[in-house]
Amino acid sequence: MQHPEHYDVIVIGGGHAGTEAALAAARTGARTLLLTHSLDTLGQMSCNPAIGGIGKGHLVREIDALGGAMAQAADRAAIHVRTLNGRKGPAVRATRAQSDRVLYRQAIRARLESQPNLELFQQAVDDLIVEGERVVGVVTQLGIELRAASVVLTVGTFLGGRIHVGDQNHGGGRAGDAPANTLAERLRAMPFEVGRLKTGTPPRIDGRSIDFSALDVQAGDEPRPVFSFIGSTADHPRQTVCHIAHTGPSTHELIRDSLHRSAMYGGHIDSEGPRYCPSIEDKVVRFADRDHHQIFLEPEGLDTPELYPNGISSSLPFDVQVAFVRSIPGFGNAHITRPGYAIEYDFFDPRGLQPSLETRPLAGLYFAGQINGTTGYEEAAAQGLIAGLNAARGAVGESPWTPRRDEAYIGVLIDDLVTRGTREPYRMFTSRAEYRLQLREDNADLRLTPTGRELGLVDDARWSRFCERETAIAAEQARLAELTVRPGGDAAIDLANRRGVRISKPEPVTDLLRRPELDYAALAAAPGIGPAVEAADVAFQIDVQAKYAGYVAQQRDQIERDRAREDTELPADLDYADVQGLSSEVREKLANHRPATIGQAGRIAGVTPAAVSLLLVHLRRRGDTLRRSA
Amino acid sequence: MIEPDTIAAPVTPPGYGGVGIVRVSGPAAGTIAAAVAPPLASPHHAALRQFRDSAGVAIDRGLVVWFPGPGSYTGEDTVEFHGHGGPAVIDALYARMLELGARPARPGEFTERAFLNGRLDLAQAEAVADLIESGDAAGARAAMRSLEGAFSRRVHALRDELTTLRAWIEAALDFPEDEIDFLADTALRDRLDALIADLADMRASAAEGRRLVEGLTVVIAGAPNAGKSSLLNALAGADSAIVTDVAGTTRDVLRESIHLDGVPLTLLDTAGLRATDDPVESEGVRRARAALDEADRVLLVVDSAGNAAAETPELPSGAIVDTVRTKIDLTGESAGVTDTDQGRVFRLSAMTGEGLDALRAHLRTLLGTGPEGGAFSARRRHLDALDRADEEIRAARTELVETGAGELAAERLRQAQTAIGAITGETTTEDLLGEIFSRFCIGK
Repeated sequence: MQHPEHYDVIVIGGGHAGTEAALAAARTGARTLLLTHSLDTLGQMSCNPAIGGIGKGHLVREIDALGGAMAQAADRAAIHVRTLNGRKGPAVRATRAQSDRVLYRQAIRARLESQPNLELFQQAVDDLIVEGERVVGVVTQLGIELRAASVVLTVGTFLGGRIHVGDQNHGGGRAGDAPANTLAERLRAMPFEVGRLKTGTPPRIDGRSIDFSALDVQAGDEPRPVFSFIGSTADHPRQTVCHIAHTGPSTHELIRDSLHRSAMYGGHIDSEGPRYCPSIEDKVVRFADRDHHQIFLEPEGLDTPELYPNGISSSLPFDVQVAFVRSIPGFGNAHITRPGYAIEYDFFDPRGLQPSLETRPLAGLYFAGQINGTTGYEEAAAQGLIAGLNAARGAVGESPWTPRRDEAYIGVLIDDLVTRGTREPYRMFTSRAEYRLQLREDNADLRLTPTGRELGLVDDARWSRFCERETAIAAEQARLAELTVRPGGDAAIDLANRRGVRISKPEPVTDLLRRPELDYAALAAAPGIGPAVEAADVAFQIDVQAKYAGYVAQQRDQIERDRAREDTELPADLDYADVQGLSSEVREKLANHRPATIGQAGRIAGVTPAAVSLLLVHLRRRGDTLRRSA
Repeated sequence: MIEPDTIAAPVTPPGYGGVGIVRVSGPAAGTIAAAVAPPLASPHHAALRQFRDSAGVAIDRGLVVWFPGPGSYTGEDTVEFHGHGGPAVIDALYARMLELGARPARPGEFTERAFLNGRLDLAQAEAVADLIESGDAAGARAAMRSLEGAFSRRVHALRDELTTLRAWIEAALDFPEDEIDFLADTALRDRLDALIADLADMRASAAEGRRLVEGLTVVIAGAPNAGKSSLLNALAGADSAIVTDVAGTTRDVLRESIHLDGVPLTLLDTAGLRATDDPVESEGVRRARAALDEADRVLLVVDSAGNAAAETPELPSGAIVDTVRTKIDLTGESAGVTDTDQGRVFRLSAMTGEGLDALRAHLRTLLGTGPEGGAFSARRRHLDALDRADEEIRAARTELVETGAGELAAERLRQAQTAIGAITGETTTEDLLGEIFSRFCIGK
């Protein structure tokens, strides 16, 4: 049975990847349909109730800079907000908000329902319609056929999932949902490389059974950070506090004694789990010298006493979970509301994707989110936005856009996935970004909003806010660039008195700003230099850009030098067997990965600089003009 | 143009040819030429210039040829420095190019660029691929050779320690809630200091080890008629120096290259170092002083027969000096070696050859092939990598301790690791994360 409408883009899945994909496609003007097995779980936070954190907060700000929904929804659900690394350098500062699950879901649903060009439809998808090497539509559980130029698949939350508790296991999807097994079976039959990953969750606790007087309290930051560039604290609901508990030696002893009964250590699971999110069993075994481990008690929401005890994910049998939880100080009477478990699930090797997130084997099909081997709402949403954008562009024959590694964490994420693949659930860290100093939360809009505007992702309201801010920063920088502090002048005397700064030759204010002992506020207070701009975010940019100027300039030079090689396209029809001089190992790697550019080829493990030279020589021999990709 | 960075390398074989050429290609070629051999020569004309180091001191005097792109071998701006062929001079010149921002060219890279820029025809493409491939293999073999033994162990230890310290810092930046904030930890600072000290030691050793490939320059100095030329001839086994008994006979720097156990050793016999009114002889003295300045080692010849001019020559401060008494056949001293506060003293006869073996063995040791040698082989690229790493690690310490900026220290250490990676192979983010997760309990 054929659905009467024809869409440009169909997005399958209503999680963080699916919702950003659908919104992005619709924002660019594509007629878009979001298909989900349940409209009630759109925007569901299936793991811990928090958005952001180091590296992840950066992604959220970038999504926001490109007009996405995640930051604004996080602001509306934020019940406890902090800036992590607040006392470290601006490049590594990141926003993290504890989120009320219900408020978050409501914010996402409202955003989806108010988006022009976007329709929602509740149906599980059982199959893809493939014609030749192209996906042209989907078939739902009821046998309804829907046709579209592009299809975005974001059904990764525990595709082919199997849940383990102790030695027991059963099929299961995210947070109690049924697993998407029919589609998983179909996809396994298609030409994608399938892998298996593992992750875990902690047992949830009823807060009414906890003795909070035995725990540390952690309040949110004041002034309260805001996620969206166009948001404010007025978007926030009522605030609450978090608590920190600690395991002790008796907890560790209990766990050690029961290790043979855990799903992991009992040999029931052999797929790769994330090293940065170990189960409490792992921690006790691998760091046996530690006499305690931290547990962050994250509130599930304002209107529920349920808590997510971050730090004790476990696949031990339920009776052991009860015993070790009750051994934690303050948890003597703890009531577990949902047992912890480990889950194994399928993912598709992301090296089978192009940087646009379109699959290599099937044109018109895009993958985003956990299906690509990532973990985390933010990583999923970031891919969703890019996949939705490129699905819409592909539907009308426009070339795809993906940010480069030096432009955005989104670029780092996608480049890592498509060139290197992953062996554990991939999570963003700032240490993955070689251009970390310029990829900051504070300048995500300056980096991306102009491009987002050109791509049709950024609406008028956001654009005018952006222009105002950008102009204010540029104007103040231009004003300061005209000013010089002279030895013996009023400003020099004032700076010497207040800050002990010695000025022995005429110094441009721009240079003084770079000194570690000075900042914008201090300089602007000196006679003839102020008054300072009122907008705190503008003042902050003046400072940060000055402090990092030397490093950023150096990195820009490097980027410019690498750019020609980086962007030189490797033709899709290139036969690596023809390239003279390559070792068979390198030839095989290149043939498998099919890098899109010379730069990507060079980042594949085992591809040497000499191999890259041989590729360039080969391209030239073919008579190709060495083309730069767009 | 496909590759806009600037590369440099000697393009004549290492050794003692009459002329040694260092070629620089890329956008910085012009500024490098103007900085090293001012003023910039007119295009395509050989101009006689002094080649100067960063302090403006002459490294050599020779011809500089400036080829603005695209009318050059590579099609890019290119400059060639034709200097005197000695390894020390060529190396100093090469090091200066790197200091000015060029990077060492990979094997075959000039030709590769020539091809990519359309300066070679298609028929030559096969040859280019061969060149890159064989150059890569030869480079790999050379790197393997120099990476055997002590040097390899030390560089890998350095890489591992750098990875560890980066793991500490990166963990503190990426996991602020995991009770692992080491940024203010004195242990981190102490280990950075230890790393800096270790690197300084390695650079000294590596500079010494370089001589395995490029040779050692030993200057024979001494008062007129002290027997310098006789000693040179005895060591060289050839009658290339004019040996007479009239003071002031040797007016020029005499250069002799010999091989000890297959390793090149350059001996420079100098004119007798004394004040003189004779214009020809004073020119000889000036050249001798210049040779002394570039020496790795000085053999000070003292006339033990007592019939040489009495004054002791002035030697540059800091030079490592061994004293050689060359005429025991006349004085009747016994052959042998004595260590004194002023250095080692050799007693031998240049005439009969008695005691000469002890001196040869000592020179072999200096070259790093003898039993006492802690030196090892490392080529200029390795030294360049160590220099860059050293600079970055020092800057990292400053950022950490004085500015308190962990993220800037991290950036410096990342650059240091990239530099070391030129020797050991790349350390990937995955390696770094592996180090973090194995070392620290991450996951709140």
